[in-house]
Amino acid sequence: MRNESKTLALKPRRKRTDVAITRRELITNIAKAGVPAAVGLTVGAEMLHAEEVPIPSAPLGLLYDASLCIGCKACEAACNEANNTPPDTSRDGLHQAPTDLNVFTRNIIKLYKPEDGSQSSFVKRQCMQCFDPGCVAGCPFEALYKDQDSGVVHWDGDKCIGCRYCTIACPYSVPRFQWLGLDPVITKCELCSHRLAKGLKPGCTSVCPVGAVIFGPRTALLLEAKRRIKNNPGRYYQDRVYGETDNGGTQALYLSRVPFDKLGLPDIGPESGPSSTLRWQKRIYSYFALPAVLYAALVTVIRRNQHGHEQEAHQQEKETGLRAQI
Amino acid sequence: MSTATLTNPPGIFPPAPNQNRWERAVPVYGVSVFNKFFFLLVGLAILSGFLTIYREAVGLGPASGMNDKFGWGIWKTFNVVVLTAWGSGAFAVGIAAWVFGRKRLHTLMRMALLTSMLAYACGLCLLGVDVGRPWNFYWVLFPWNWNVHSPMAEVAICMSVYASIPLALENIPPILERLWHFDVRLQPVVEKLEHALHKFFPFIVALAYLLPGMHQSSLGALMLLGGQRVHPLWQTPFLPLLYVGAASFMSFGCVAGVTMLCCLVWKRPIDRDVLEEAARITAWIIFAWLVIRNLDLLFRGALFTAFHPTEYALIFWIETFLIGYGGWLLLQSLKDRKLRTMFLGYTLSSVGGMLYRFSPTTLAYMPGPKATYFPSVIELLIAIGFASTGIAIFLVMVKLFAILPAPVQEWHNMALYFRARGPYSNWTKYFNFGFFGDTEPTESD
Repeated sequence: MRNESKTLALKPRRKRTDVAITRRELITNIAKAGVPAAVGLTVGAEMLHAEEVPIPSAPLGLLYDASLCIGCKACEAACNEANNTPPDTSRDGLHQAPTDLNVFTRNIIKLYKPEDGSQSSFVKRQCMQCFDPGCVAGCPFEALYKDQDSGVVHWDGDKCIGCRYCTIACPYSVPRFQWLGLDPVITKCELCSHRLAKGLKPGCTSVCPVGAVIFGPRTALLLEAKRRIKNNPGRYYQDRVYGETDNGGTQALYLSRVPFDKLGLPDIGPESGPSSTLRWQKRIYSYFALPAVLYAALVTVIRRNQHGHEQEAHQQEKETGLRAQI
Repeated sequence: MSTATLTNPPGIFPPAPNQNRWERAVPVYGVSVFNKFFFLLVGLAILSGFLTIYREAVGLGPASGMNDKFGWGIWKTFNVVVLTAWGSGAFAVGIAAWVFGRKRLHTLMRMALLTSMLAYACGLCLLGVDVGRPWNFYWVLFPWNWNVHSPMAEVAICMSVYASIPLALENIPPILERLWHFDVRLQPVVEKLEHALHKFFPFIVALAYLLPGMHQSSLGALMLLGGQRVHPLWQTPFLPLLYVGAASFMSFGCVAGVTMLCCLVWKRPIDRDVLEEAARITAWIIFAWLVIRNLDLLFRGALFTAFHPTEYALIFWIETFLIGYGGWLLLQSLKDRKLRTMFLGYTLSSVGGMLYRFSPTTLAYMPGPKATYFPSVIELLIAIGFASTGIAIFLVMVKLFAILPAPVQEWHNMALYFRARGPYSNWTKYFNFGFFGDTEPTESD
């Protein structure tokens, strides 16, 4: 009899706890927990994000004019010498003839020669030193970082876990992973920063016999490129400098007679990869506001459901005489 | 199972209205852990251990098929991206049971938690083998060094935190329960621990839903930075959402499918009510997912590329067929009430979901002309070996702990079985000194 009255007394409460949380309850719980604040932070963070991609104070860069390049590959050898990397002779064991950028090769000259005999072109490939680099955005523990002054993207071996996400996040496929050995490194052009510190130019620009690649502050290089376009109308593809705005702006600038995408410089548009793709990622996690609200709501709902679940389990324990499994 | 000789005395246990109603997790008793299949799994696991040492010694190049163009191989793209999604039942089934109050699914929770734990542990271990400089992983402990906006950081941090704290804690109750039944002297301690665990349970469980939601979506966000190199049929800003959705229906397939398989192998009664509820939820997740995916393709204008005669279009249609037909079979099984249809539905939708999660990273990833990747034999053997370790641990766990759901009757059968055998008869025994559950405590010691 006593038991019966107890269950009766519990009835209204059981109704509330036993039944799954209604949609209305779920929504009000979330709202109570501070949706307005979270939404404010999430949306308002947009203004802060404008400042979030810092422009280096004195960006340094390269200007490569593919229409001048004679393909002598002196820059390749100079790069190896400047960075103290062995020449890649893996092809025939004799000549330095890398097929692509690799762990020994931070700089390479390639040839674009269409089969129909139209305009061909050499192209020099190295790190573009983007203003908003995909590799830096993707790197989990800031092993790749952009120098605040020179804007050069450096690699720090003490932080790199070797996940190779940079090789996927870079739209130009520049960073390369060392596939052999116990202590693999990530290799990419770091604009010969060790030489710059000594007052020397980067290896590749110090040897170019025709001045196809030149080094300097990015602003000066951009002016020079525009001057060349103005003085030689019709010489350059689209009369534009690749890297002025592409992928949010890069510090390595390109001039070419042939379309840039033939040279492996994809048409990305003025918005950088990270800012166009990770926008929501950034906003949802800004100040951790939305996850915190969601967590609070989940705790509230689960607490209530746990109460009902435990009651049910103990009820079953009484019925079956077996210890409840919660 | 040799329960034929252990039939119950009539009248003592009155039959329930639904004989097969799953009410209690019961260990798989009376079956030895050691059999040919188990030794095969252990053999593969040991082999993969030796191959892992080889991989660490020579580097990734000789041990795998990865190259400068395809920087990621199946260890990441299959074992981490795909298998953790398939095994995220603790997330999807848990949310259905705990948040949306699908109470009957509570009986599947222990299966979900165990499969999740094993899938995540396997994925994380293989991630450790895959990364080139694992000794730098300690940076995970220093939040000021996290690049919080990097999807890779979220995956690495969230996954390891999730598997090592909330998921591990959620898996503790079956272990405590076994200790409670094992020895009367342990019971006060165990009860104290259980009480503490229950107190913090909502906080742990909520964390166990928040973190996977974050990293399963970040796994999708990983390929966003791949940009144009991922085929437009897959590359979309909705990739994180679609990845969570795929993880949800795949993990239902994993939990329900594996439970059905276990019931088949160990001749356990199958509770249709629970499985049908799971099938209904899975089917609706699948259809909602297909609608979102195809609307996104339509509005981005990428749907037309599905009609170009390319291998990408073929992969797309295979995915869509497997997922859609799997979902349709699940709905069909509610009508024709055939477990075969339901199992096929779970299997096809899971395989389709796996293909979907795998495609953007490998099949539909186009890093340039002439770029190819096929996993090397060593790479495959290591991936298989790590998965085998997970399966082997699963087989041990379901035989030692109360994981698989069963009717209450099964528990009484087990108690009878162990009583007949006596203590010390079999190392897989659930009870040692004492309490068989259905009687007063017998004399202990």
